[in-house]
Amino acid sequence: MNCSKAKVLMSAAIDGELNLKEEFELTRHLDECPECRSYFQDAKKTKIIIRERIVRVKAPQNLVESIVRMTNITAT
Amino acid sequence: MKEKKQTINAQEQLKQQEFQQEAVAHINSLYNYALHLTMNPSDAEDLVQETYLKAYKFFNSFERGTNCKAWLFKILKNNYINKFRKNAREPGKVDYDLIKDFYHTIKDVQRDTTEAESDFFHSLLHEEVYQALQSLPEEFREVIQLCDIEGFTYEEIANMVESPIGTVRSRLYRGRKLLRAKLEDYAKKHGYNTEFGE
Ligand SMILES: [Zn+2]
Repeated sequence: MNCSKAKVLMSAAIDGELNLKEEFELTRHLDECPECRSYFQDAKKTKIIIRERIVRVKAPQNLVESIVRMTNITAT
Repeated sequence: MKEKKQTINAQEQLKQQEFQQEAVAHINSLYNYALHLTMNPSDAEDLVQETYLKAYKFFNSFERGTNCKAWLFKILKNNYINKFRKNAREPGKVDYDLIKDFYHTIKDVQRDTTEAESDFFHSLLHEEVYQALQSLPEEFREVIQLCDIEGFTYEEIANMVESPIGTVRSRLYRGRKLLRAKLEDYAKKHGYNTEFGE
């Protein structure tokens, strides 16, 4: 496997979306390619940074209440 | 609604209970997704409200045992397309003032985030990561959002964006490559001389 194929697989590897054969091939490449190993580390961090830096807010209380009310509308 | 109260049957009550447990539990995720799509809190509220109305109406068609959050996201996205897409901005064009305003609007709202480890990634500001993400063409931004932020599987994303899994996979790869280049630019601006990316 060459490095550019490995990089494509890394993206899916980070998401746990490789099949066994691909996983095996990627692992073998990473074992012998230090550049790809460091690229892989950065790629993992990129996913983490996206998840952590994108601000999450809570839904406004009035919205939550109005939706609960909507489903309660026919309840006793 | 008093007449209705009398006609409620056990089946309807069960549906309500199940809906509240299964669907209402995802309201924060849906609201955030709606905010990212509309960039406007009041539009986002409307969108979420309509999504739940529709979801409740069609809750019987929800396939039990599948991911309810993914089902809700798909409804929300369809709603968004019908409602707002006609006058949406062109992909790749970013209104940075809008993003600033957006962050200003929500900055006092309770945050739900943890800090990253301390390296050059740490220097990236929330706004910068958001700007980098928003600057991507929509087809890339969307899959990254659904995968990295919302944690959907490729199969669920493929279903939501109505494309094969292979397409999702390659969009994620290409989108991430673009995103890394942008993040690297920001890191450099902060004085980090990194070989990040290659
Ligand atoms: Zn390599």
